[in-house]
Amino acid sequence: MSNQSNPHELGDADFHSTVHSFEFWFEAVEGYLHGRPYGVSPSTKDVELDERQREGLITTLCNYCVGETAALEASSGMIRFAPDRHAKIFLSTQVVDEGRHLEVLLHRMAQLGVAEPEAEIEKRANRSLLKFKDRLLDFVDARDWEASVLAQNVILECLEFTVFRHHSGTADPVTADMLRGIVSDERRHMGFGENDLGRRLLMAPHTHDRLHKIKRELDTLVLDTFEETLGELGVDRAERPDLAGDYLAAVARLGFRS
Amino acid sequence: MTDPLETERPVQERKPRRSFELEETGFNEVPKRFRKFYRRWRGPGDTLGPNEALCPVCKVVIRSVKELRAGDRVYCMPCMSRLELVEEDGMLLAKVIY
Amino acid sequence: MADFLSNYSIQKWLESCPQGYLEDTVYGHGADEREPEELLKNEQFREAQIRTTVQLIAGERCALAASSGLINAAPDAASKTFLATQTLDEGRHVEIFTQRLFDLGIAQDDLESTIKTYINPNLGKFAEVLLEKVDKKDFVAGVVGQNIVLEGMAFSVFEMLHATSSDMNPKFAHTLAGTIADERRHVGFGENRIGELIRRYPEKKPEIERMQRDMTKHMLATFHDSFAASPLAAASPSVAPGARKSAGTYQGLNLAEASNEEMEGALSSVVLNEFKTRLGRIGLEYQSPV
Repeated sequence: MSNQSNPHELGDADFHSTVHSFEFWFEAVEGYLHGRPYGVSPSTKDVELDERQREGLITTLCNYCVGETAALEASSGMIRFAPDRHAKIFLSTQVVDEGRHLEVLLHRMAQLGVAEPEAEIEKRANRSLLKFKDRLLDFVDARDWEASVLAQNVILECLEFTVFRHHSGTADPVTADMLRGIVSDERRHMGFGENDLGRRLLMAPHTHDRLHKIKRELDTLVLDTFEETLGELGVDRAERPDLAGDYLAAVARLGFRS
Repeated sequence: MTDPLETERPVQERKPRRSFELEETGFNEVPKRFRKFYRRWRGPGDTLGPNEALCPVCKVVIRSVKELRAGDRVYCMPCMSRLELVEEDGMLLAKVIY
Repeated sequence: MADFLSNYSIQKWLESCPQGYLEDTVYGHGADEREPEELLKNEQFREAQIRTTVQLIAGERCALAASSGLINAAPDAASKTFLATQTLDEGRHVEIFTQRLFDLGIAQDDLESTIKTYINPNLGKFAEVLLEKVDKKDFVAGVVGQNIVLEGMAFSVFEMLHATSSDMNPKFAHTLAGTIADERRHVGFGENRIGELIRRYPEKKPEIERMQRDMTKHMLATFHDSFAASPLAAASPSVAPGARKSAGTYQGLNLAEASNEEMEGALSSVVLNEFKTRLGRIGLEYQSPV
C-alpha cells in the first residue's frame, strides 16, 4: 500500500474508494462546518440591507431553494439505480449536503423576515429553472443514469458552483459565509459527475450523441437562468462575469461542443 | 486495456526534481491528513509554484512534495478528479483523465 | 409543527452525529479496535459472524433505498431534510457493516457473492413489501414501513447484538452503539411525524396495517431461519468462542445458558411488543401475521 497521507501516491482504486466514502465526507465537512451553525461563523456580523437589496436577495435565495430542492430530490432518487456501492454511498453524502443547503437557505430567508418561504418561492421562482427541475426529475423517474448525472451533477452543479462562487464575492457577510460553505460541497458533486460521465463516455462512446441532444435542450434553460440570476443580483450587463464560460468549459471537457 | 498512467514512463528528466516541504495553507475541505496538499486559488493574479497545478474542474490549487513535470499524475481530492500534467505552449496544465 | 421538525434538522444532526458521538471514530469504532483474534481463527464462529453481518447489510441497503426514495414523496421541506440525514445514516450503516465483512476476511471482489450466499430470502421479501410502497411514492405507508417497522426491528436487533457483544467484542459493540443512536432519531421521526398524517388520512389505515402484517410475517420467518441456521446461538455470533459463558443477560435470559429457541422467542417478543406500542401511539392497530 502506498503512502496513505500523500494523496498523489494512492493507486486509482484506493483513491476512488477513499473519496467516495462516508469517512472522507465526514472528515472533509468537519473542516468547514464545525462550529458554524447554519453554515455561518458566529463571529460574522450581519449588516442592514436596504429594501431593494433585501428584495433582490430574497428572490435570489428563492431560486437557490428551487435549485437545491431539485438537487435533493434528484440525488436521492438516483441512489436506487446507482451502478455500484461507492456511487450509492457518495450519493447519500450528496443527499445530506443538498438537504443542508436547502436548510441554510431557508434559515437565511427567515433572518430576512420571510414568514412563508414556500409561498415566496412559488411566487418568485424562475420559470426556466422550474422547467429544468421537471426535466431532471423526468430522467430520474426513468432511471436513466447517464442523463441524470449529466443534468444533475454536471449541469445543475456547475450552474450552482459558478453562481454561488461569484455571489459569495459580492454578497453581504452572512450570505457570503453561508455560500462559501455550499461551494465547498459543490466541488465534490460536480467532480463526481464530470468524472463518472467522463469514464462512461470513454467506455460507451455511442451514448455521446444521445447526451448531446439532452445537453442542447437544457442549455437554453441554464443560460436563461444565469442571465436572470445576475439581473436579480443587480449586476450590470457590461460587468457580468463570463459565468456561462465555466459551464461551457466543463461540458467541453466531456466532448460536448455548443 | 492498459492505463497509460499505470505504466512506466520513459525517463525524460534531465535535472533532478526539487523537493518541497508542505505547510498548512488553511485549506479545510478534505480530511486533515490531506489538507496541506491543496490550497485555495486566489484568482487570475495568483502565481503557481513549480510544485503546484490548478484543477480545471473545481479551481483548487493542487500541491506536491516534488516539482511537477509533464506526464505526472496528481489527484484533486476536493472534486475527486484524477489529473495528468501536460505542457501546452510552454505552460504546464492539468488535464482530467476520466 | 415547525418547532417539532426543527429537532430533526440537519444542523441538529451535524451537532449530534458527525460532531458528536461519531467524532474520532473510524467506520464507527475506535481506530485501534479490532475483531477478536480467537474469533477470526475459528472458522465456524467466523462464518456465523459473516452470516449475521450479511443480514445487517441487506437490511441497511433496504433502508437506504427506502429513505432516499421517500424524499421525493415528502410533503414539506423539513421532512425532506430529515430524510436526507436518514439517507446518509443508512449509507453509513451500509458502509460500516460492509467494512466489517472485509475485517472478517471477505475479499472486496467477493462481497456481492458472499451477500448472495448468506442472505436470508425472507429478508428480501420483507424489503420488497416496503419498497413497493416507496416506488408508489406513498409517503405515509413508506414512513410507517421504514421508520416504524424496519427501524423498530433494527433497533431491537442492534440492542440484542450490542448486549451480547459488549464484553467480548468491543469493536463491534462500539459500531452498534453508533447505529443504535442513529435509529433512535429514525423511530422518533416516524412516530412523531406520521401520527399527525394518520389522523389526517384515516382512510389509509387498512392498507398500512396490511403492509405491517406482511412485513411482520417475513421478519419473524427471518428470525426463525437465523436462529435455526447456526448451531451456535444466532443471537451471540458477535462474540468469540467461549464468550457466551461470560456474556451477560438479555431480556432476563442468562446468555450463557439460553437456547436458540429461547433467544428467538425473546427477540420476537421484544420486537412485537415494540410494534404494538409504537403503532398504537400513532393510531394504528397491530396486525398479527398468525
